[in-house]
Amino acid sequence: MAAPVNKRTDCWRSPEVYKHHEQQRVCISRPKYRDGRKAKAVKVYTINLESRYVMVQGVPAIGVMTELIQLCALYGIVEEYRPLDEYPAEEFTEVYLVKFQKLTSARAAKRNMDEKSFYGGVLHVCYVPEYETVEDTRLKLQDRRSYIVRAARNRERERTEATQESPTSSDATTLLNKILPRRDETSKNENTREALNVSHYSEFPPLPLPPEEHYSFRQNVPTEDKMGTLHNSFSNIEQPQAESLGSNPTTSNWDQGTEGRLGSNPVSGVRLIPRIAHLASRKRKMERSEEHSANVSGENGPLIGPKLPEPPKLDMEDESLNTTVTLIRSTMTQVGSFPEVKKVEKKAKPRRRI
Amino acid sequence: MRKNDSTEAPERFQYLQSLVTEFQDTDSEEAKEQVLANLANFAYDPKNMEYLHELQVPDLFLDMLAEENENFVEFGMGGLCNLSMDPECRDVILQSGGISLVTNCLSNGREETVLSTITTLMNLATPTTRSKISEPGILQCMLRFSLAESPRLRNLAAVFLQDCCSEEQVRQAQQQMQGLQTAIGIPLPKK
Repeated sequence: MAAPVNKRTDCWRSPEVYKHHEQQRVCISRPKYRDGRKAKAVKVYTINLESRYVMVQGVPAIGVMTELIQLCALYGIVEEYRPLDEYPAEEFTEVYLVKFQKLTSARAAKRNMDEKSFYGGVLHVCYVPEYETVEDTRLKLQDRRSYIVRAARNRERERTEATQESPTSSDATTLLNKILPRRDETSKNENTREALNVSHYSEFPPLPLPPEEHYSFRQNVPTEDKMGTLHNSFSNIEQPQAESLGSNPTTSNWDQGTEGRLGSNPVSGVRLIPRIAHLASRKRKMERSEEHSANVSGENGPLIGPKLPEPPKLDMEDESLNTTVTLIRSTMTQVGSFPEVKKVEKKAKPRRRI
Repeated sequence: MRKNDSTEAPERFQYLQSLVTEFQDTDSEEAKEQVLANLANFAYDPKNMEYLHELQVPDLFLDMLAEENENFVEFGMGGLCNLSMDPECRDVILQSGGISLVTNCLSNGREETVLSTITTLMNLATPTTRSKISEPGILQCMLRFSLAESPRLRNLAAVFLQDCCSEEQVRQAQQQMQGLQTAIGIPLPKK
C-alpha cells in the first residue's frame, strides 16, 4: 500500500531542478513521412532517463492529492508518494513525487497522464531518476538487460525453428501457397507461422487463414510511433505478465491484459486442427446443437472445417478483475446473440382529405 | 502505425531503411538530428534490433561519437546505450573497436552523454573484454564520478565500480589517484 509520509532522507532530499524535468519544445519541422500523430520534442530515451520515480507538476492546489494518487494507481501499485513543497511550482499548483512499484507502471502513468487535464489544471509528468538509490539503479539496469536478452533468445529460437521446419514441409508448403490467397509474403514472421502450422498438421491441406478482422483486437498492441518513442508504451515492454493494479480496473486495463497475452504469443492465434481429430467431438456437438439450435445464430448444420480459435482466456492475476472480465465477456456475448432490433415501422396515417 | 504482425515486419524494415537513407542523403543538420534521435529511440525496442543490425546502424552510431555536433554525440551514444543491451549488437560494437570510441566520451561535457557512456561500457563487459573495461584510467574516472554532485552520475559510477571490476582493482586505482593526482583533471559534465 502507498505510504503518505517517508522519513528516509536519502531518496526524499531537497529537490533540484534538472534539465530532464523541463518540457522541451516540440519539433515542428519533421517531414510528413516521419511525423507522428502527436507532436514531440527531439529527445532520446535510454534506460537512464526512465525510473520508477515520477514527478507530477501542475496539480491544482485544491486538496486533490488523494484523487491524484488514485489516478496514478490505475497504472500500477504506488509504493510511496509525497508533495514536493520545496520544488518550484507555478502559482496555485503543487508538485508531487510518486514512486511506483514497477518501471512499466511509471511508463504507463507518464504516457497517460502527461499533458492531461486534471481538476482544471494540466499535469506535467516526468521521470526523476535522481531519487533512485544505487540499488534501485542496479536493479533497473539488470531488469532491462535480462528482458533484452530474453527477447533476443526468443528471436533466436524462432529463427532456429523456422530453419529446422522448412526442409521437411516443402510439399505442404507448395500446396499452402496454392490455397492461400496471393499476397506479398516477405515477412519472416509470416513464413515462420506458416511453416510451423504446416509442419504440425501436414496430413491435411490447411484451410485459408481467417480474415484479418479477426485480429482486430490486436490493434491495441503498442508499437513505436514514427519517431520511435516506445518509452511511452506501457504494456509488454518490461514484463510480459499483466500488471496488478492498485485500484479500480478499467477497460483500458483489460486491454492491457489482452495485449500482454497476445503480444507474447502472436504465432498461436490460429490453429488448423485435422478433421479426424474432431469427428467424435463434432458428433457430440451436432447432437447438442440440435437442442440449442434456436439460440445459436448462423449455424445451419454440422460443424465443418477447423475449429475457430477460442477467445484467449485472460488471467488478470486478481480475483475481482477476473470476475469483472467474465461479466463483461458474458454481457458482450448476450448482446451479440440478440437479433438486430428491427426498426418499428410507423403505420402511415391515412391523409385526411379536406 | 499499429498493424498486424504479418504486414508489419517488412514495412518496419523499410521505414527504418528510409530513415537511414535520409540521414545519409540530407544536408540539413536539423533533419540529421531528428533522424538520429528517431533511430536511437527505435533501438530501445528489442523488436527492431535485427533490422537495425542489418542496416548497420551500430556503426552509424559509433561514427557519431567523433562528431563536433554535441547533439550527434549525445543521440549516437544514447542509441549505443540502447543497442548494446542486445548481445548481437554488442558484438558488432565490440568488433568495430567500440570500447575505445565509447571510452573517449567519458570526458564529454553533457551529463546525458556521460550517463549513456557509462551504461554502454557496462553493457560491453563480457568475460573477454572485462579487463579492458576495468583499466585503471576508466576506474579512476568512475571514482571521480562517484564523488560527483549529480545523484544519477554517482549511482551509475557506483554500480560500475561494484559490478564491473574487483575490489582489488578499485583499491589500486584509488592508490594511483592519490599518488599521481591524474584523475582530478577529468572534468565533470555540466548538468
